[in-house]
Amino acid sequence: MEKEEFEQGLNFNRRKFLSRLSLGVGSAALGSLLIPDLFSGKAGAEDAIMDALPHFAPKAKRVIYLFQNGAPSQLESFDYKPLLNENIGQELPDSIRGDQRLTGMTAGQTSFPLVGSYFKFNQYGESRAWISEIFPHTAKIVDDICIVKSMHTEAINHDPALTFFQTGAQVGNRPSMGSWLSYGLGSENSNLPAFCVLLSRGRGNGQGVYSKLWSNGFLDATHQGVQFSNSEDPVLYLKDPDKMSRDERRKMLDQIASMNDLSYKEFNDPEITAKIQQYEMAFRMQTAVPEMTDVSKEPDSIIKLYGPDCLVPGTYAANCLLARKLSESGVRFVQLYHQGWDQHGNLPNEMALQAEDVDQASAALITDLKQRGLLDETLVIWGGEFGRTNYCQGKILADNYGRDHHPRAFSIWMAGGGVKSGMVYGETDEFGYNIAENPVHVHDFQATVMNLMGIDHERMTYKHLGRRYRLTDVSGKVVKDIIA
Amino acid sequence: MLKTSSIKNLLENTLFVWMGLVLILAIGSDRILLPDWIQVIGRSHPLLLHFPIVLLLLGLLFVWIPGLDKKPDARSIFELTLLAGCNFAGLTVIAGLILVNEDYDGDAILWHQWSGIATFYLCIVIYFFRHLSRSFLKPASLALALGITMTGHWGANITHGEDFLLAPIQEKESEITPLAEAEVFNDLVRPILESKCMSCHKEGKIKGELRMDYIEGLQKGGKSGPFVLAGDFENSHMIQRIGLAMEEKKHMPPKNKAQLTEDELIILREWVANGASFDQKVMEIAPDSKLFILASNKFEAKKIYNFEAADASDIKSLNNFFRKVEAFYPESPALEVSYFSIAAFDPNSLEELKKVKDQVVKLNLNKMPLAGVDLSVLKEMTHLEEIQANFTDLDSKQIQLFASLENLKYLAISGNPIDENGVQALSEMKPLINLYLWTPSLSDAQKKTLQSKLPNTSIDFGFDGSEAIFPLNSPKVTFDKMMFRDSMEVVISHPIKTVDIRYTLDGSEPDSLTSPHYSEPIWLTKTGTLRAKVFAKDWIGSPEANFQFLKSGLTPREYQLLSTPNKQYKGNGVETLFDQIKGQNNHTTGEWLGFQDEAMELEIKLNPETNYSELVIGMLYHEGAHIFPPASVEIKGLKNGIWKTVVNEIPEQSKKVDLPRSRFLNYDLSVGGYESLRIKLNPIRSLPKWHPASGAKGWVFVDEILLN
Repeated sequence: MEKEEFEQGLNFNRRKFLSRLSLGVGSAALGSLLIPDLFSGKAGAEDAIMDALPHFAPKAKRVIYLFQNGAPSQLESFDYKPLLNENIGQELPDSIRGDQRLTGMTAGQTSFPLVGSYFKFNQYGESRAWISEIFPHTAKIVDDICIVKSMHTEAINHDPALTFFQTGAQVGNRPSMGSWLSYGLGSENSNLPAFCVLLSRGRGNGQGVYSKLWSNGFLDATHQGVQFSNSEDPVLYLKDPDKMSRDERRKMLDQIASMNDLSYKEFNDPEITAKIQQYEMAFRMQTAVPEMTDVSKEPDSIIKLYGPDCLVPGTYAANCLLARKLSESGVRFVQLYHQGWDQHGNLPNEMALQAEDVDQASAALITDLKQRGLLDETLVIWGGEFGRTNYCQGKILADNYGRDHHPRAFSIWMAGGGVKSGMVYGETDEFGYNIAENPVHVHDFQATVMNLMGIDHERMTYKHLGRRYRLTDVSGKVVKDIIA
Repeated sequence: MLKTSSIKNLLENTLFVWMGLVLILAIGSDRILLPDWIQVIGRSHPLLLHFPIVLLLLGLLFVWIPGLDKKPDARSIFELTLLAGCNFAGLTVIAGLILVNEDYDGDAILWHQWSGIATFYLCIVIYFFRHLSRSFLKPASLALALGITMTGHWGANITHGEDFLLAPIQEKESEITPLAEAEVFNDLVRPILESKCMSCHKEGKIKGELRMDYIEGLQKGGKSGPFVLAGDFENSHMIQRIGLAMEEKKHMPPKNKAQLTEDELIILREWVANGASFDQKVMEIAPDSKLFILASNKFEAKKIYNFEAADASDIKSLNNFFRKVEAFYPESPALEVSYFSIAAFDPNSLEELKKVKDQVVKLNLNKMPLAGVDLSVLKEMTHLEEIQANFTDLDSKQIQLFASLENLKYLAISGNPIDENGVQALSEMKPLINLYLWTPSLSDAQKKTLQSKLPNTSIDFGFDGSEAIFPLNSPKVTFDKMMFRDSMEVVISHPIKTVDIRYTLDGSEPDSLTSPHYSEPIWLTKTGTLRAKVFAKDWIGSPEANFQFLKSGLTPREYQLLSTPNKQYKGNGVETLFDQIKGQNNHTTGEWLGFQDEAMELEIKLNPETNYSELVIGMLYHEGAHIFPPASVEIKGLKNGIWKTVVNEIPEQSKKVDLPRSRFLNYDLSVGGYESLRIKLNPIRSLPKWHPASGAKGWVFVDEILLN
């Protein structure tokens, strides 16, 4: 036996030695050049980065991101352009379009006729912001939100644009925003995942969403978004099998943990400890999640506030209510996706339905957080992956038209968490095609979210395949003007 | 050709020249007036100094080679290297002594100068006594190496700034200054000067006669004029120099040095614009100025907490799965305590917080069952400013306790029943900034009282909802299939348990008065339409749920498709039409057969013994996806060997783009007695003018054929 143990030790050492040797010597030398602190006696450069987080006092502790997947039209929501109604059917001037590339869906169009909003606009609140008639509830909370009308992105199709918004890169191998924050700030409540994902689908045309959007990328697997399902079991595979008691489960986990611990001592692989922790967290989630998802104790006024759909699992309203409950219980990042905003055609019809799905519940979430004193520390974001063209895709009819993808200018709103309230930031030209002032790039937006969470987006990095990565890649400027 | 020995002679003689010059310059430099051109020699010092370092160290290496005396070649290289090194050392020292008359001053320069001179003389001594024994040479060579190193190090400190060499491994102090305390000069401007300017403008190296290492130096200015003048860009030399183009000789910092960043330029300019004061606080400048925005981003804007931080191990010991205790941010002594998990809440665990009673600033107890819990420990928390205790079953005694906390500024107690005593206690809490008090138990009069007693507190009474009237959502209708053979159970439900569900089966619109009240599952026994609505007090009645149910008791004997569906929408072939599964309102699910280029043609053989009364065709319409009602429906029946037209119909066409929906085409077969039926559905050949894609071919989608 002693002999085996000795050999095992040799194997271990040899494996470790060889794997470290190739990287070890060279990277130590290079590393010390790149990271001055490397030999200064700190535990490890990556640890040092993490120890310093948050970099400054955070304004927001949590994020709820209401992603409107498919790209809702800014021209029928927040960016009021009467010129388009006056000039309906007229050609979009080349000088305005410039060299903007078009999607395959309208690139072949010989004509680009302007089309104005089918819906009426009005001004609301002290900020006198323009909001269209299909968002009556949002209009009521306009003084609590900051509308950014000058967003722009690099991608023109859904998948790359979504991926860009969520991960900072158009190709899907990077960690999602929620994963970055989970990695940087950890979980507040260790009985729940730091990053939760809720999906809903509207009645409009749209594409699906896929798990790469809430992927941990190269970060540790514990930072992956946990998708809640619409079924009776919001978190799949969490329940004990029938007739298994909680004590039995505890005993089983203890036994597994002791075995895992043995193999950890043998192989020293940190993935094994990660596994033990995940089992333990799942055990605690068995009580935390039912506590969380139980809506039966919500007061009647809450049902009225969010609308009765909030009691139907899988609807946007139910997800907004659940998002509030998760966030309130210390989930760092709650990511919602509401699908169906891709109105290439039949826009007036479908957009009205989509707005009906989300308007009341989105506004309700703000009101609800506010009345609990939580809005100040919770950042809520509402918006899609890009905007829609000011010209019609296909034919214009009195009550029917469509709009193609438009990356150059679109609107989102943010609320709470240190963002100025009752503000409209940025402006587009009178055609609603180009940004006229204060452009906000997707990376600027991400940098701003990080800043509100107390993180300097340039300093929180993760080293992978020999280079340091950030959510904002190599750009991004904090939009200080919208920070309270 | 010169012989080696004559070169050696020459070089030995020049050594004496250098020694003399060094003596003169070192002792009498302040009595000599040097012409301008000689400065060029002085400035060659940073170049020259590399030669003696290399040559002398190389020479010294030979001393350590064993048996050097027995190798004449090696010996002569050793001597020549040493000699050349001594000469360069002389030149370097001379150049240095000339250079020092330019803007250098201070301790570092003295150390560098005199150690340089000493090193020079030491290497000459070693050269002339090189024949002595190793016991002399070895220690002497070590001393020389030390001299070279130290001289070099001091020299480098002058050029690159103190601790240039060791800076990367020394821990930098990073303290976050609270915004309230931050000063424009000390916290914003000086760090820039230190990192980008001071290496050439300080004691030891005073370029342009400007010193930045003390305020008087900055006030005095430099050779060309004042450093800064309040609000005067034109005459502030610093502003001029940093604004010059990179190619300009006078551009600062010099071309090859680290440049100022965009933000740094803004800070320096705004500092001058704001009066170039040395003691102004950041809080004193206009809050919308660029400088303020930059500063507030840099410094901690929240309240500063200057009490002592808690013991790190205490904080660690208080953290567990159900309680998080953490600092506001890494350097802050202020702690936030949050409780999680209702099931695991232990009221006694509050006592444990005594360990950090002076540091807890924020306490989150949301949803914890606090009924009857002793909260007196909160009284000991001297810095407690914020309590979140929404939905915690507080009683008025606990609220009175909150009211006694002197430093409390934010209180969130929404969702708690508040009685008159509670209102009384709350109305005493004058220092409150925010009070969150969304609770149904408060009367309007109580709300008014509170607001008038606490004029400086922002109170959020939350969403009441009693006056808002919104529509209910439609009921959920649960059943097995839309088609059934004998009978089927249908369940109607609604997420709000107290609503009144009304339904009809006769096709009439359900209302809240006369329609049947739903109380238990309904059994359907015949084809028909179920319409249901829900009603409740304070709500608008829901939109109706509407389902068409089909009883299909009969199956044909045989069936076959005479045309081929589009290969993308071929489902499970002809079986799809007889599987009794109603397709969802989505043509891509595989439950539908789609036809575009060909008409749908189907032949069914009927059972001769059965009486068929009705034929039903299940269709999907979705104009957005080009799926329309058929252009025409032709049904032929075979009777006594002859095909006769049973139906030749042009169904009603769509008039606008609508949502996907399923519809049924019903045909009477009662005159019947047919042996077989042939059904043909023709798709429309071109989409109508009003459609965005008018002219394109239309589709026909079918999911089911039913016989009764």
